Amino acid sequence: MTVAVWLGSAAPNRTIRWLDGALATAMKFTRTDDPPPLLAVAAGDPTWLDLAADRASRAGVPAAGIMIDLQLDYLGWAQVMAAVARQINATTILVDEASRAERFPEVAALAELLDAAQLTHVVALSPDGQTIHASRAHGNVLQTVRIKGSAVIGIRIPGAPIEEYPTPTPSASMRRLDLNSLGLDPIVLGHRSLPPRSTQQPRRTLERVTEHLAVHVVPRRGS
Amino acid sequence: MGAVLVHIDLDGDRPHPASLAALAAGRAVASSWGATLYAALVAHDSTDRGMGSTAQVVSAGSVPGIEGVQSLLSRAGADKVVVALTDVIPVPLWASVGIAWQGVLDHLRPRLVMFGADSPSAAELAPRTGARLGARLLMRARAVGVEDVELRDRDGGYVRSSDSGAAVVQIGGPQPLLGAEDDVDLVMLVVPGGGDERIELAGTSPADVTYHGGAIVALGDDVAGDAAIARDARKLAALLGAPLVTRDRVDRSTPLAPEVMIAIGNAVADLGGASSLIRIAQAAGKGADGALTGPIGGSLSELVESLEARK
Repeated sequence: MTVAVWLGSAAPNRTIRWLDGALATAMKFTRTDDPPPLLAVAAGDPTWLDLAADRASRAGVPAAGIMIDLQLDYLGWAQVMAAVARQINATTILVDEASRAERFPEVAALAELLDAAQLTHVVALSPDGQTIHASRAHGNVLQTVRIKGSAVIGIRIPGAPIEEYPTPTPSASMRRLDLNSLGLDPIVLGHRSLPPRSTQQPRRTLERVTEHLAVHVVPRRGS
Repeated sequence: MGAVLVHIDLDGDRPHPASLAALAAGRAVASSWGATLYAALVAHDSTDRGMGSTAQVVSAGSVPGIEGVQSLLSRAGADKVVVALTDVIPVPLWASVGIAWQGVLDHLRPRLVMFGADSPSAAELAPRTGARLGARLLMRARAVGVEDVELRDRDGGYVRSSDSGAAVVQIGGPQPLLGAEDDVDLVMLVVPGGGDERIELAGTSPADVTYHGGAIVALGDDVAGDAAIARDARKLAALLGAPLVTRDRVDRSTPLAPEVMIAIGNAVADLGGASSLIRIAQAAGKGADGALTGPIGGSLSELVESLEARK
């Protein structure tokens, strides 16, 4: 069993608390009699890779980074992480799904590509030999789930509160990977590129805030 | 034109309201695109049919209450209803219903698959469906247009009839029901294979509000004593199906990762980056994706009124 943590393709929005939480959760797997190999993986621009490597190093998790300047959709990034997972024979993959909104569907995409079981919205996790005990948030219910075998697990587990953190410097310890070494063709991968979208300005009018929230309005029962 | 497929979750013996909203959006799209609209659900059937490894259409199944569901789905606009029968008790996890749902996808080969964004199975099934189909994915979208209907999300993503390739879309918010005849074909599809035994649901318990993944309304202690604001905050929470939290439950170090938090007054929390933050306060502050500034009571009241008009 090898455990991998997919930290994603861009730095967290708002806070690195959930990034730290994902790394701390991965470290739980090492507190056993026979700790599995562990690797945190990030992709994207160098600044993000340095941050990911720095936080992984502080948590005690070895890190690998893939420098890519493509903007991919959920299937594109899943192809990248799946290639790493195959190379290191990862059987348990944790995904930090709380740090950025676009990360969440990558859980399912990774599971699909690796033919693994999937579990999203996990808020607590405890490895126990070949079994992983997990708590999954589902509306106002907490599901208690046992996971056995190969799985991709989307976690939303926060680390300790953090106001500021040191500016990361380029990491010497981070393992550098590239697409070719992972058996991926950048041109083929480019087919999963996202079209450029304009930056969303904050919504400051009643109409725009209503528009933003309207898709969260609960449909009427019996409508 | 390929099929438009809407996944239906059940809420007791009725289709879930969020699934019906998705079906209404699907009706608008299918009519505009000239496509057939399928509503499909997964149901338990313990009959031993001695089948092989492939899905089969059967002439009769024993699903209690299916006639009522079929009638509702018909009146909500479905052209055809597909029931995937599985020998596992369906729970809203891919591990439970994924194999049966895959049987529906293989049977229909849809071009567009829709889920109610707030339906119980959407979080687990929609992205996995997208991955299976190699499809584009819109997370919270709505149908817009009258003759040339398209689906649009808040970030500029869209699905149009002229697009190539498949798409999976989660529909958010209420949608106008168009109504249709109470007469629809029902297909029972037996899908062998059971569930994924690598994931086992061992039990459930009430979840703490801090785990809520949808919308959260947070009321600051600077406005909690204002009866009108508190009343409108409760209305807003009810509209969004959100818990209403106050400072004694959530403070600046409380980690939250809902889809959206509406912070009224000086309410704060330690939000995950995946969350969208809307602030209703004297000033917008940092990090908000949207804000209504100025007198809080007036802004909140107008927002509630504006959202009620959408319902």
